[in-house]
Amino acid sequence: MKQNTFYLLVGIIGLAEVGLFWLSVELRSPLIITAGFIMGVGLLYVARLMITDVAEDERSRLITQKAGFRTLEVFWVIFFAVSLGTAVIGFSTPLGIPRPREFPREFPRDQPYLGYFGILQMILLCCIAFLYIAFRVYYARKYGEWDTDEE
Amino acid sequence: MKNKIKVYRAMRDLTQEALAQELKVTRQTILAIEKGKYDPSLELAFKIARFFGVPIEEIFTYE
Repeated sequence: MKQNTFYLLVGIIGLAEVGLFWLSVELRSPLIITAGFIMGVGLLYVARLMITDVAEDERSRLITQKAGFRTLEVFWVIFFAVSLGTAVIGFSTPLGIPRPREFPREFPRDQPYLGYFGILQMILLCCIAFLYIAFRVYYARKYGEWDTDEE
Repeated sequence: MKNKIKVYRAMRDLTQEALAQELKVTRQTILAIEKGKYDPSLELAFKIARFFGVPIEEIFTYE
């Protein structure tokens, strides 16, 4: 598979993920986007292994690793904090022991701020993507990705 | 870490692209090593030294 074909596949999967997200929201079923996202990323990982026209070497792997590690280093704190907040919302309601409650198809009317929580999650997801790109650009520059001085 | 890859490459009249192909890395990696922006792994450093037929300390010096 050529590199450009891979980028085309990334675009198609990205669009499919947007569609799945919309469907997930419409049907109020988080399982659709969760499973769809995992399958999409898995497909991209497999497709990446099949690229034949671009050589990946130790320097490019180092750039990817460092960018990923730095992003995780910054963002795990934020996601941990948000997840703790989510746990508080969950534990504030009856736990449903011994019989677990079904996932609420209707948002509780006494907690109208839950919609804002979705927006917060989306902002965080966008931030993690931008942060990764920023770290990737930083390390790519640091390790001479765009230098040109062939003599 | 400093290196003399550029010197040895010039002695053999090799381009960065040609050396990169021999070592199975990208040209950008050779360029980054030459400019001191990237320190190669021990494995790649040995491969470079072996390619030029000299001891590793002849090409790479730690400062």
